[in-house]
Amino acid sequence: MESFSLLLRGFSVALLPWNLLWAFVGVVLGTVVGILPGIGPALTVALLLPVTYDLEPVSAFIMFAGIYSGAMYGGSTTSILMNTPGESGSMITALEGHEMARAGRASAALATAAIGSFVAGTIGTVGLTLAAPLLARVALTFGPAEYFALMVLGFSTISAVLGETPIRGLVSLFFGLALGLVGIDLQTGEARFTLGLPQLLDGIDVVVVVVGLFAVGETLHVVSRPHHASFITKVRGWTWMTRADWSRSWKPWLRGTVLGFPVGALPTGGVVIPTFLSYWLERRLSKNPEEFGRGAIEGVAGPEAANNAAAAGVLVPLLTLGLPTSATAAILLAAFQQYNLQPGPLLFVTNPSLVWGLIASLYIGNLALLLLNLPLAPLWARLLEIPQPLLYGGILVFATVGTYSLNSSVFDVGLMSVIGVVGYFMRRFDVPVAPAIIGMILGPLAEQQFRRALAISQGEMSVFLTRPLSATVLALAVLVLVIPSLLRLLRARAAHQGRP
Amino acid sequence: MLGIGLAAGAFGIRFGVGYDRIGPRFFPFLVSLGLVVVGSWLAVAAMRSGRARPAAVEPSEVAIPTDWRTNWTGLGYLSLALLLNLLLLERAGFVIASTALFWLVARAFGSRRPARDAVVAVLLSVLVYQAFTRGLGLTLPSGVIERLL
Repeated sequence: MESFSLLLRGFSVALLPWNLLWAFVGVVLGTVVGILPGIGPALTVALLLPVTYDLEPVSAFIMFAGIYSGAMYGGSTTSILMNTPGESGSMITALEGHEMARAGRASAALATAAIGSFVAGTIGTVGLTLAAPLLARVALTFGPAEYFALMVLGFSTISAVLGETPIRGLVSLFFGLALGLVGIDLQTGEARFTLGLPQLLDGIDVVVVVVGLFAVGETLHVVSRPHHASFITKVRGWTWMTRADWSRSWKPWLRGTVLGFPVGALPTGGVVIPTFLSYWLERRLSKNPEEFGRGAIEGVAGPEAANNAAAAGVLVPLLTLGLPTSATAAILLAAFQQYNLQPGPLLFVTNPSLVWGLIASLYIGNLALLLLNLPLAPLWARLLEIPQPLLYGGILVFATVGTYSLNSSVFDVGLMSVIGVVGYFMRRFDVPVAPAIIGMILGPLAEQQFRRALAISQGEMSVFLTRPLSATVLALAVLVLVIPSLLRLLRARAAHQGRP
Repeated sequence: MLGIGLAAGAFGIRFGVGYDRIGPRFFPFLVSLGLVVVGSWLAVAAMRSGRARPAAVEPSEVAIPTDWRTNWTGLGYLSLALLLNLLLLERAGFVIASTALFWLVARAFGSRRPARDAVVAVLLSVLVYQAFTRGLGLTLPSGVIERLL
């Protein structure tokens, strides 16, 4: 029960009044950005990076953790009331949740989402508490070759999973990798890809890219579409969940959790897949599957739980291996780098108060979110009434502030705009944005491990293949990319033969 | 679909070929190579599906309302907003620049209440400037207005 005493120490950090305040700021901010369409947790944390420069790392991360989990709660509110997910993990929630809202059961949908999120978030955090130290211990034995192989696996699964087709994910990934190469090479001092511009010598800041892709790109995308009014379903009255709702919800909550956490914790990651899985599962198991598509509460409870459990799971590879599997996790990794901290097994040894304070604050944050979201949901929903022109105007003003204050340079603001245009085209052509961000942040680290491994092996490339673990992981990475296309090919062939 | 792939492909290739010679080479080379391969792959895939689609579409599928119309006025306003922001930021100061930015973005979204937008724009800009410079100690470019505050 070593981790238990460490967790208690974490609580003693997280419960300091100062840190509690930051946790509170985080969850409120997270809920707000989760609810508002157009801003997500990744963008918010990125914008806050320059602001939190002077903050204690522990406090900053406690706030970020609050934003991270708060956005999950907020995202479901938007899904249910507006049928446009405020955040990618709550896409599925919109299916049944919005139908429930239209049938006048918005508050029951909101309640099952919030309680399910709390249950799953808490159990997920318990999972994190137990799994992280174990994995960190295993990870201590990893050498550069293994790390490199794991990162490659991360790259390939992220591209395969997040895009509509693996190829789109790969385009995005390589775009990010290329962006990550810009600047002075750390090991030789050689300038790369700087186009002769002195402003690029330090590399492109992650904040610039994230704000460009998410804020500017998103705004361009929304503007470019023909206008259609969106309806907000009013939360009518306050009908609490009925007994039937409870008995139909608790099992999906638990099943969603069981599904969400491991999938999130795998380096294949992301929070979207478990929500799909959970939805599919609930529909299979339901006694009245005909209700699905017309507002089945199970279809809200399960995916919402899966979403939140996966969000806790994503932190496992991030904290123990330094391997981010979602855009927000990638920004969190960048935040660690800002404080000259490298997440990984050593962080548990060198900075336990940070790691455990962070984990403890997740428990607190979840509780705070439940209290904030249950009674106040109708209040939060008013945020959706902010007129779109003002909302996006505000987003771009804050985008400018965040980017400019990095280095006080207009060049960065310009770069942000250019990257925003790229982001617009990516969005337009269904190229996912997240692999680019992960590639950009993880790319330089992968290169470092790659060269370190080669230095150890004295230039022998086979080191990646002769070490059993790294060879296995690399093989997996290839398989992940190849299998979907193979399956599609086979299916196409079968369909072809089936036709006369 | 067709334009997409071509754009992405050309983009990938242009990125790829130019720089692979520089620096500690191996990794950049790998990435450039990847970009080229992946970019052209997408281009090919897009061309194929672009060509294959007219034949494959069943009459019933045509009705799916994928709205590809682009709101050019909106995009125009927004581009103007971003460009003006860059030009004004250090010349006229943060408040003027972001007021202009905010107001033009609101226009881009088809706001029909320019007066309200302007009021909100000014208020937000001043508020943000105060909060970030006084409260958080960040530097934002100052112009005529900022000196008066």
